[in-house]
Amino acid sequence: MCDITAVLTVDLLAQVLDWLHDSRDLKSCRLVSRAFLQAERMHRRAIRPLRLGPLPVLLRRYVGSLQSLDLSSCPSLDDSALSLSIPCPNNLLSVSLSRATGVTWRGLEVLASVCPRIEAIDISHCVGFGDREAAAVAKACWLKELRIDKCLNVTDVGLAKVAVGCSRLEKLGIKWCFEISEIGIDLLVKKCLELRELDISYLKVGNESLRSIASLSKLEDLALVGCEYIDDEGLYFLSNGNCSLQSIDISRCENVTSVGLTTLAEGQQRLRKINAGNCSPVLTSTFVSKLCTLGDTLIILKLDKLQLLASALEIVGKNCRNLLEIGLSKCNGVNDEGISWLVEGCTNLSTIDLTCCLLVTDKSLLSIAACCRGVKCLRLESCVLISEKGLDQIASCCMDLKEIDLTDCNVNDNALKCLSRCSELLVLKIGLCSGVSDIGLSFIGTNCSKLLELDLYRCTAITDDGLAAISNGCKRLKKLNLCYCNQISDTGLAHLQLEELSDLELRGMVRITSSGITAMAMGCRSLTQLDLKRCYSIDDAGMWALAQYTENLRQLTISYCTVTGLGLCHILGSLRCLQDVKMVHLSWVSIEGFELALRASCGKLKKVKLLGKLQDVLSSELLQTLQARGCRIRWVNKPLVFKG
Amino acid sequence: MKQIIGEPGIDLSSDSKMDLKLTRNSESFHKPNSSNHNLNSFNQASQYFPNLSPTNFLSRAENLQQNLKTKSTNSFEPNLNSGMATQNPPLDWDPHAMLSNLSFLEQKIHEVQSLVQSIIDQQAEFSSRPSELATRQQLATADLTCIIIQLISTAGSLLPSIKNTLLSNNPALRQLVNPDFNNNLKCEGLIRNFPETARNSEYEDLLRNLDNEADWMKEPNPPLQSDIVDANPIDEHDLKESDDGDAEREHLPPGSYIVLQLEKEEILAPHTHFCVICGKGFKRDANLRMHMRGHGDEYKTPAALAKPSKEPGSDVHPVTRYSCPFAGCKRNKEHKKFQPLKTILCVKNHYKRSHCDKSYTCSRCHAKKFSVIADLKTHEKHCGRDKWQCSCGTTFSRKDKLFGHVALFQGHTPALPMDEVKASGSGQGNDDMTEDLGGYNGNFASEECLTSMDVKGIDESRAYFSPMNFDGFGALDEFGRGGFDLEDNPFAFIPSGFSQRSGDS
Repeated sequence: MCDITAVLTVDLLAQVLDWLHDSRDLKSCRLVSRAFLQAERMHRRAIRPLRLGPLPVLLRRYVGSLQSLDLSSCPSLDDSALSLSIPCPNNLLSVSLSRATGVTWRGLEVLASVCPRIEAIDISHCVGFGDREAAAVAKACWLKELRIDKCLNVTDVGLAKVAVGCSRLEKLGIKWCFEISEIGIDLLVKKCLELRELDISYLKVGNESLRSIASLSKLEDLALVGCEYIDDEGLYFLSNGNCSLQSIDISRCENVTSVGLTTLAEGQQRLRKINAGNCSPVLTSTFVSKLCTLGDTLIILKLDKLQLLASALEIVGKNCRNLLEIGLSKCNGVNDEGISWLVEGCTNLSTIDLTCCLLVTDKSLLSIAACCRGVKCLRLESCVLISEKGLDQIASCCMDLKEIDLTDCNVNDNALKCLSRCSELLVLKIGLCSGVSDIGLSFIGTNCSKLLELDLYRCTAITDDGLAAISNGCKRLKKLNLCYCNQISDTGLAHLQLEELSDLELRGMVRITSSGITAMAMGCRSLTQLDLKRCYSIDDAGMWALAQYTENLRQLTISYCTVTGLGLCHILGSLRCLQDVKMVHLSWVSIEGFELALRASCGKLKKVKLLGKLQDVLSSELLQTLQARGCRIRWVNKPLVFKG
Repeated sequence: MKQIIGEPGIDLSSDSKMDLKLTRNSESFHKPNSSNHNLNSFNQASQYFPNLSPTNFLSRAENLQQNLKTKSTNSFEPNLNSGMATQNPPLDWDPHAMLSNLSFLEQKIHEVQSLVQSIIDQQAEFSSRPSELATRQQLATADLTCIIIQLISTAGSLLPSIKNTLLSNNPALRQLVNPDFNNNLKCEGLIRNFPETARNSEYEDLLRNLDNEADWMKEPNPPLQSDIVDANPIDEHDLKESDDGDAEREHLPPGSYIVLQLEKEEILAPHTHFCVICGKGFKRDANLRMHMRGHGDEYKTPAALAKPSKEPGSDVHPVTRYSCPFAGCKRNKEHKKFQPLKTILCVKNHYKRSHCDKSYTCSRCHAKKFSVIADLKTHEKHCGRDKWQCSCGTTFSRKDKLFGHVALFQGHTPALPMDEVKASGSGQGNDDMTEDLGGYNGNFASEECLTSMDVKGIDESRAYFSPMNFDGFGALDEFGRGGFDLEDNPFAFIPSGFSQRSGDS
């Protein structure tokens, strides 16, 4: 057998690898030969380890070329682990420490000092972080991209540190940093003149901030979701500012009305994306007519929960011919007539969101099928008037359809039969459709082999056979929701042999037991999230199986299971990736059991949900240790209620 | 004449007393005899001065006391036959009275001359006894004041009353001749049983002007006039509320308003009531109302003289704006881009802030200085509470100030609160404590200082009255009633601070 690298040089291999995105494909490639491994090593720029253990080996392998390191999935990451996991001479440009609650400012200072050229840091969702951490990050002076979303203790002072230290910032996310005020934003704008993307969603800042933000000449992307103190005056500042925005998200700004949107559309002529969902509900025709001026540039328009007339959609259809995505969820006035006018003009639409547009019928689907043949995503949740007739037309015309949401649409097996013609389908949601049975699923299983996500929430007619059809046909499934499908038993679960399945919800499936879980766990080894709430029959044996087979399990819900202290202790102790456990109402676990289990897990867990009564019973020293390691405990005071 | 001059010494506090005095004064004034009597008493008094042994001050004081007693007997005599007084025609220019006045002045000048001479002769001795020197100086000052007042009142009676109308159209001119004008007013007022408060205030003002010009003596505070001391902070707060007037720039076309320019002394005097026509300041509104009578008949009605009822806009004054007397100032009317000041309070604050020394230092930081007390008080409220610190060490009381600073300077960042915690953790706690205490002490000191300042303003004018009183321009009835109990305290005429010191020595 000749060396394959003789004909396929490393350069060529690298080019081939450019086209491989799936981690599983890359793994197969690595396993071909040493030469392939070498090529993969030289090609790789980013790693995302799931555990800290193998990290030193990995880093040694990739240290030269590695640019991006994502440590957000690593449990028990603290300062010392962080400083050990970053090789000293490196070319790292990007590090993600999202949800790394165990890290403190010292670790961040080390990070900033050992990665001199680092350009992107993500410390979002580290809820305990404050000004000191922000100050540590600010020492990375070449930073271009920073996410500190939901670092709840960051104030204006921290933001000022960042603004002064990282004057080259281009992208900044400070979503949910509630402590930041207009003063901080004002300073940020004065110091970081290169800003292109800014997310100040949910901040309590007012129009004055928008006045200063409007002076940022390079700003293109601005997110203002849920800024309740911003109103039309602020948008007026934006429309008259120096910036030429390409994208703006003003959804959930309750005080923004059509007047503000109109001035914005007048002033910012290069807008490509507008999200005005959930603003003040009445949308006047003046705004829609102003959209004409944006005309060709606009590609995304979201008007969720606004009251608009069919005539408005007509104007949009006539003028915004390049529109790719439209969001009309919960828009009361949307009807078939409006949709037909819209799609006649906007033939390039690929995403149409009609969630809760209760007036929409099959006629809309027919016009969509006729005009927008390239549609990829259709969200039709709660469009109760649609039937298999419309879906049949969609399935036959829109062969590119990748995602369809039919939750609560009362579709039946025939509809699924039609849809199964869309062989490219990746996401299918048919939750709450009690008319769907095993027959329908068998069509899907046979034809939609590329399916990644399937939602069968409360499809109570489904039995073990249906599940078997799915698991035999859709081998690439990553997400599966079987909540409350209470006819499925252990036999059905045993069919679930899905190697790539990462997210499985089995809530309220009262008939499954530990043996079913064991069989499932053996088949689905890459499971990271599992919900077993209210699976009353699952006991310690199930836990043992999970501990043994699903090594990557990160998030686990076992509330109401009949697990004892022993099982809990074992699973919390042995699962190395486990970070988030919800264990409310574990009536079989003693207080000592909880104590031991939590001690066994110590250092890994970031989030725990426990019964409120335990707060006084568990030793305070244990709770303090947990919190010191960055674990957040949510105490729940729900009564013990058995359902189903 | 004697009553006029003597009255500033009378206590201003009681209204009922004033009424009593008023009637008596007016009666006695119109009797030429009484002035002759007074003149005699002056002559008697003056005999003591040249013979005074300069070294023995106490003996002189005793003499003066005796002198006073004789005077009192003299001056009470004419009061007994008061019927004659009312029959005399008022305001007639009496050359005899004028002559006697002039001769009195002559004598008085001689007295002062000899007194000053004695000071010069014994300078060497005084160096060892500074308190005595001060006493002499005080006496000299009092005498000089007395002379000036006498001079002015004498001259005032010469001026024709039509001058009033001549001047009324020219504020600047009016300003120039202000003292005379006032004097004229006073004469008029006397004829009509002008309440003495008005006259008192004329003198107060006059004396204050003199005081400011010459910057004569600084006096320790006698425990007088607590009411005025209390009133003063309120006055300052009033000033504070109306700013320089910089904030709102009004656009009155030039010529649509009258420009008044007060003199520096007038501005710095602690007045709160100002004449809208000539800008003259008064400490009391009643005095102002009396003053207003001089501006025309419409101010002489009982309604105008009564306490102002709170009806705004009842009488319309021409739009008046003010000019700062500081040449070259933008608020000066000679300036090319003259911006007038809106009110007199604006003038006061502007002048103090822009053209005066910042004499009030913050007792906490010892760095910030102010020329307006209210500014200092505002600052002291916040001083020492700077919790916003920059990386350069500068501290700020407000976050937005800090951020403004950070925005201005390259590389400066706000300091983290934890830095402070660390710093104080490393053993600076005690220092902080002592600093705090220091702050308190300083605060006390400053408050003392402030009160003394407040008092001084009033006191400087007050200080002249006691000796003048003594020098006998009358108010003898006052003595009789025990306003000044000379029996008990022979030095009552000397400011109390001093009398104690001399008692010690």
